Amino acid sequence: MRRMFYYMERDFRRWLRGRVNVVSTLILPAAWLIFVGLALPIRFTDNYLDFIAPGILVLTMLGASFQGGALLMFDKILGYLQKFLAMPAPRESILFGKILFITLRGLIQTTVILVIAILLGAHFLDPVLLLAIYTVLFIFGILLSSLMTTVALKLEDHDSYAAINAMISMPLFFTSSALMPYDQMPDWLAALARLNPVSYAIDAIRDLQAGIFPTATFLGLLVGAILVLLMSVTVFRRATV
Amino acid sequence: MAAIETSGLTKRFGSLVAVDRLDLAIDREIFGLLGPNGSGKTTTVKMLTTLLAPTEGDATICGHSVTGNPLAVREQISYVPQDMAVDPKLTGRENVIFFAKVYGVPRPRETADEALAMMDLASRADDLVRTYSGGMRRRLELAQALVHDPEVLFLDEPTIGLDVAGRRRIWEHIIALKNRGMTVFVTTHYMDEADQACDRIGIIDYGRVVATGTPAALKTTVCRDIVSIRADGTFQDELPEGVTFLGRTDDELRFEVDKGEEAGLALSRALTKGGMTVRSVSVRQPTLDDVFLALVGEQDETEAFDARRFRRILRGRA
Repeated sequence: MRRMFYYMERDFRRWLRGRVNVVSTLILPAAWLIFVGLALPIRFTDNYLDFIAPGILVLTMLGASFQGGALLMFDKILGYLQKFLAMPAPRESILFGKILFITLRGLIQTTVILVIAILLGAHFLDPVLLLAIYTVLFIFGILLSSLMTTVALKLEDHDSYAAINAMISMPLFFTSSALMPYDQMPDWLAALARLNPVSYAIDAIRDLQAGIFPTATFLGLLVGAILVLLMSVTVFRRATV
Repeated sequence: MAAIETSGLTKRFGSLVAVDRLDLAIDREIFGLLGPNGSGKTTTVKMLTTLLAPTEGDATICGHSVTGNPLAVREQISYVPQDMAVDPKLTGRENVIFFAKVYGVPRPRETADEALAMMDLASRADDLVRTYSGGMRRRLELAQALVHDPEVLFLDEPTIGLDVAGRRRIWEHIIALKNRGMTVFVTTHYMDEADQACDRIGIIDYGRVVATGTPAALKTTVCRDIVSIRADGTFQDELPEGVTFLGRTDDELRFEVDKGEEAGLALSRALTKGGMTVRSVSVRQPTLDDVFLALVGEQDETEAFDARRFRRILRGRA
């Protein structure tokens, strides 16, 4: 277990030294929050910012996971992974350290977005609510970062990964419940949105905002995360023997 | 028990035999594995470092089997692959401390300092690796590899891409490690470096080790004197008795002979008679390059010389 944190520490040090990188992933969600959250003339609610904020928090996590998915692939391409694999530390700690780094980095970025949302007037100040929201985002982050790390590891090619990234990240966001409630969507979109795992995370946060504990969606996310993580371990083991 | 022992170690990728029944015993020495590109050097190292599972056979490192107990093997070894993988955004010290922690060394900071000092990097330890030269990065990798005091060190092309001073320095460090009792397994393309630094050498071609021995022994047993002749034209005749064609680069032909001085004259006469214009003749003692070329052959021959005829002679000798 300790080894996992050392691998994670390495990634954090590297990340904090790259200055552009630290800020760049925050631009897109901040822009959504300001230009869409504040500006869009919406009739179904009188506080669209409160409605869209959970979607933007999840979008931040989504972006962080997609960006981080390539990290292990780069470690492999650049030769770091070979050195790590020849060390006596349990090999899975490389994978777990990476997933944990991507998720925690995502949570840090989400926090910045959360602060911006609160400054703009969203209502998120209840500590119990915040704790619950972070738990949901953490599980969602584990799910997506294991998935994207595995995809990248399978592809072994940065261009293909970037193409997949561009192809699915925005559609995943638009076909979720991020921008409007299900009853405002056309039927075909509502059907897609109910299948989309991104909606699960968003709906869970909205339920928490409304004071309901979202047992079903929460368990759904948790089971999903565990399954994807197991798959990720299997692929990692196969890719490194 | 030798530090590294392999018995029938074999790796096949589909129908390609990358490493073919390797039998080696290496102990407290610098062993250099030499071979052309794609001959199986890196595959061998990867099997010995437990990164690749052998198709057949086995190897032991300090008595631990790479197939049966890979974890114990990894406790005893360090592996420095050829692609300079150190984090440029971290300082030298951070790079080494990270390895010390992952290895589970009791006092990672102090151990890292010692390793950095041993590699003459103490004064630059707090600079970002981005500012390091190639030679310093390689030394930093050695420092990383040394933090857990391994018994066996695997180095894949340790001096590739370094300048002359950088190379010499790396070899000095490798020799110093051997003198402290470490077993070093190294692959390289640089024959002169292998000649100076390695205690024993194995030459591998198409996955088979075709010769092992000290550089001196290989030079005397595999090669005789070398005659280099610069000449133009095409050779059509028979070569004199006891002469073996080694290879050709541009207009330079190399032959292996018993008594260099006499055979050189005879050869130049034979070539002139065979239709070539001889411009210069020189005789020298064999180097490891010649041993290598004699055993492995040259992949890049020009066709103006009657290559097929000499290939036949070469094969008849082997």
